[in-house]
Amino acid sequence: MISILVSVFTFSWLYHHSFWYRSEDADNYDNPDEIAVGVFPKHNDDMRLEVAWTIAPFILIVWLTYVSWVPLDAVWSEIGEDGYHGDECEDGEFSNNHLDNQGIVTSECYHVIEITGKQWVWQFDCLDLSTEICDTGSDNIEVYGTVPLLSLKTGETYLARMMSEDVTHAPWFLGLGVKEDVHYSPETTLWLPISENVDDQIILCTEYCGDAHSVMAGKLVVHQ
Amino acid sequence: MNAKSARAILVLSAIAMAMVISPAVVSYPTGIQGVKESGCNCHGATTSSDVVPSIAGLPDQYNYSETYEITVSFVGGPANPSNANQGGFNLWVSDGELSPADATVQSYGANEVSHTEAGNDQTSWTLTWVSPSSDRNVEFVLHTNSVNGNADGANGGSSGDMWNRLTAKVSPPVLVLEEADPFVVLSTLIVVSAILLAFTLAYVFYRTNPESFTWDYFAPWIADWLTTTDHKKVGTLYFVAGLFFLGVGGIMAMMIRIQLAVPGNDFLTQDQYNQFFTLHGTTMIFLAAMPLINGFANWMVPLQIGAPDLALPRLNAMSFWLQPVGALLIFTGVFSGSGADTGWTGYAPYVVSETAHMGTTMWVAGQIMLVASSTLTGINFLTTIAVMRAPGMGWLQMPLFTWSILIANLMLFLSIPAFGIGLIQVYLDRVIGTAFYDVSAGGDPLLWSHLFWYFGHPEVYVVIVPAFGVISEVIATSARRSIFGYRSMVYAMAGIGVVSFIVYGHHMFTSGMSPTLRFVTMLTTMLVAVPTGIKIFNWLKTMHGGSLVYRTHTLWTLGFLVTFTLGGISGMFFPSIAMDLHLHESYFVVAHFHYVLVGGTVFGFYAAIYYWFPKMSGRMMDERLGVLHFLVGFISYNALFWPMHRLGVWGMARRHHTYFVTTEEAMGALPIEATGWNMFISVAAFIFFFSNFIMVANMIKTLIRGEKAPPDPWGGWSFEWMTTSPPPTPSFDPHNLPILSDANEHVANEPGTLSKLFNRLMVSEEEAEEASH
Ligand code: HEM
Ligand SMILES: [Cu+2]
Ligand SMILES: [Cu+2]
Repeated sequence: MISILVSVFTFSWLYHHSFWYRSEDADNYDNPDEIAVGVFPKHNDDMRLEVAWTIAPFILIVWLTYVSWVPLDAVWSEIGEDGYHGDECEDGEFSNNHLDNQGIVTSECYHVIEITGKQWVWQFDCLDLSTEICDTGSDNIEVYGTVPLLSLKTGETYLARMMSEDVTHAPWFLGLGVKEDVHYSPETTLWLPISENVDDQIILCTEYCGDAHSVMAGKLVVHQ
Repeated sequence: MNAKSARAILVLSAIAMAMVISPAVVSYPTGIQGVKESGCNCHGATTSSDVVPSIAGLPDQYNYSETYEITVSFVGGPANPSNANQGGFNLWVSDGELSPADATVQSYGANEVSHTEAGNDQTSWTLTWVSPSSDRNVEFVLHTNSVNGNADGANGGSSGDMWNRLTAKVSPPVLVLEEADPFVVLSTLIVVSAILLAFTLAYVFYRTNPESFTWDYFAPWIADWLTTTDHKKVGTLYFVAGLFFLGVGGIMAMMIRIQLAVPGNDFLTQDQYNQFFTLHGTTMIFLAAMPLINGFANWMVPLQIGAPDLALPRLNAMSFWLQPVGALLIFTGVFSGSGADTGWTGYAPYVVSETAHMGTTMWVAGQIMLVASSTLTGINFLTTIAVMRAPGMGWLQMPLFTWSILIANLMLFLSIPAFGIGLIQVYLDRVIGTAFYDVSAGGDPLLWSHLFWYFGHPEVYVVIVPAFGVISEVIATSARRSIFGYRSMVYAMAGIGVVSFIVYGHHMFTSGMSPTLRFVTMLTTMLVAVPTGIKIFNWLKTMHGGSLVYRTHTLWTLGFLVTFTLGGISGMFFPSIAMDLHLHESYFVVAHFHYVLVGGTVFGFYAAIYYWFPKMSGRMMDERLGVLHFLVGFISYNALFWPMHRLGVWGMARRHHTYFVTTEEAMGALPIEATGWNMFISVAAFIFFFSNFIMVANMIKTLIRGEKAPPDPWGGWSFEWMTTSPPPTPSFDPHNLPILSDANEHVANEPGTLSKLFNRLMVSEEEAEEASH
């Protein structure tokens, strides 16, 4: 939105000036800044204008950063500390997450799963969650062939603890639009809030990891 | 034998025993599909020579539509008749039709078969292949895995297994040409372009003086170029090398685009593709963009500040000659078929892992040379600009291009040591087995990310800031005004220089950093937009009240303003709106940095070429060809990179050698339209690539029969326009240097607050002398 305003403003200025001040013949011109070879020309400036277009974008940017901070904070929130996803679920507890109108998901508690990357295959592990909440297997996708599958339940929120057995990888859940690097060490984590509008989706690797990087795929299936 | 090793052996044999005895369920007993490229990597990361696959029953040359019975089998590995299972296979064929001969084999379509559950406890399978009815070079890819039949939970019992790959070729009855190997194509193209370049140079030499076209004249001429220390000649060398590598990088980009033109293409294999984008990125940044900038810096900085030459001319020649040698090292791998495949960012630990190609070592060595070259260049320019300005030229009277080179070199000088250290560590890791980045020995891959991006982000500005300088010169001259807000331009550039050092963290958003740090990084990243915005507004205001003369360089400058603004705005998406998480490492990023690098740096330097070429060669370029180049180039460029934003949002990942479209609504993968757009992009890429030859043709034509250029064809004010075109050597007479006067004399004489402060801090020479008495 803001980008559109800024670009419309800049471009109309550009077009206007490019044509308005266009000149065909070079000689008929009064040279307001006394341009001559070997002479540093007259200053052409306006302190107030320059300060204005320093301060205004500055304020705009601080504001933009602030506005975008809230949803980011939710995606990157630390475990336990803030109110988004509560504590780890006890046996038989459900997260019953819900989506607010800003697109932020909050849950009562979360389940822990494990994702391991290695050249060039993903491994999913439900740890000791019941198959009702989390299941793994394998499946065929049209073109990626046999890929590992992770099945999660709608309305539940998961925290993936992630490690790599070799080089750095990064699972990208295309539908959820989230990704995070996995290292040999230290462990990294990723929130997977399966709210009601999350569908089945492909998981790709988006941290370059060698030969078969582009076909290091997986599949997330959502069940009720 | 001491007790320790005895214990170790005991433990190991216990583990081995456990592995043999442990119960048996086996991985994917129901067949494996789609492993043609990836391999059976759930049975171990790489191929293993213990397993020897074979295919029996294939003819050398097939007959049309005949049915052949084939047996695939393997020996070796952990497979053993006493295991619960022994192994499986996957066979892929490029043409004809595969089908199972019995229940141990199943079909995954006409060109892929695998074992069934029933066929999981054997090591040999039979099937049939119906050959094609036309002439094809048929390729078979066989994967076999040899399993030990254990079960270890989550992985479905794949530990300790081994696999290997075999490819076989069958010729058609009438021989058809083999599809060329992309490496051969690339190497041929590079060699051909080098030869063409040599011919062009020889021809230009011939035309400059047809009478003296003999070896006796040629030998000293070429020797002069090879040993020159004149800043103008070294500048030309940089310039020619830069354009040459722009072409080489472009050839690689074209091959990348051929591969991506249609989904699932197999023009390049995945490991060829990985080398191509790695070398494309490295070539474009280090061997094309930087030398082009250095070419103009060499040419123009001494001329603009009224100096006879650079401060350290011989060092300058050395900086240049390190580059071709470095380039040769960087490319060595390609000529042997296993070039660097790490991406231009060379992330650890991949870059030190065994799976990275051998050529990576040479690539690293070549980069170390380039680091040395840049460091020497930095020393040279900082010294020259600091001490060799003509009388009358204060810091705040330097032309903006010189300012931009000063700031770029300062940034480079401060950041490149970090990169150098990182490279040396990687080199040692790869060559003598140190463990800086070896994760299993406690090495820290994040260290590389920090060292690399501490350099890498400023580097992005190192290549863009000189373009700012060019644009400032061109726009002021074309509008026949002095640049609006000269001082705020300088401060803005310096501001970008400072801020660019503290924002590099944004490249590591997804690599697990603390939230507070993320916030700070996000804010500072966004703040870079402020000085950039100042510059754009100042440029626009410069045109106000001026009288804009349209020349080719003016067009490229306006083109730069459009694309750079667009690129800047698309860049604003990353730090904001949680978008980075989705767009990071997608084609959106590819679109964004090409908008900045091509639309910014390359366009800026195209403007520089049209602007300064008359000064450098003494001849005016053809304006009509120039406008044609601009129109074709600018339009195809936008058609090439703009749609990539869209692809990124759809979910096309960067550095993937292929992509797949799907009709399945729910998959979150690329929609069908992506196919059309990719083809469109590839076509536009070819047009853009070839449009640049218009410029090359223009330059050659100009050199041969361009009009003679006057000293100041465009009406600029700085010193380079004072000398003849081309300038003499030395560029200015050291005993009779030009003196800069100032149309704002009254302002210049009052020292500003800052200089007053400095004056107070500094001990003047006279005072120092007094004190010493
Ligand atoms: C003919 C024009 C060009 C085309 C068609 C083109 C195309 C591409 C494509 C498709 C990629 C992405 C490959 C992938 O990630 O799968 C790429 C990567 C890249 N390009 Fe270009 N490019 C062009 C010119 C340039 C120029 C002039 C520069 C720099 C001055 C440049 C710098 C880069 C860099 C740094 C990368 C990243 C390489 C990596 O991922 O390691 N490109 N290019
Ligand atoms: Cu990966
Ligand atoms: Cu950066």
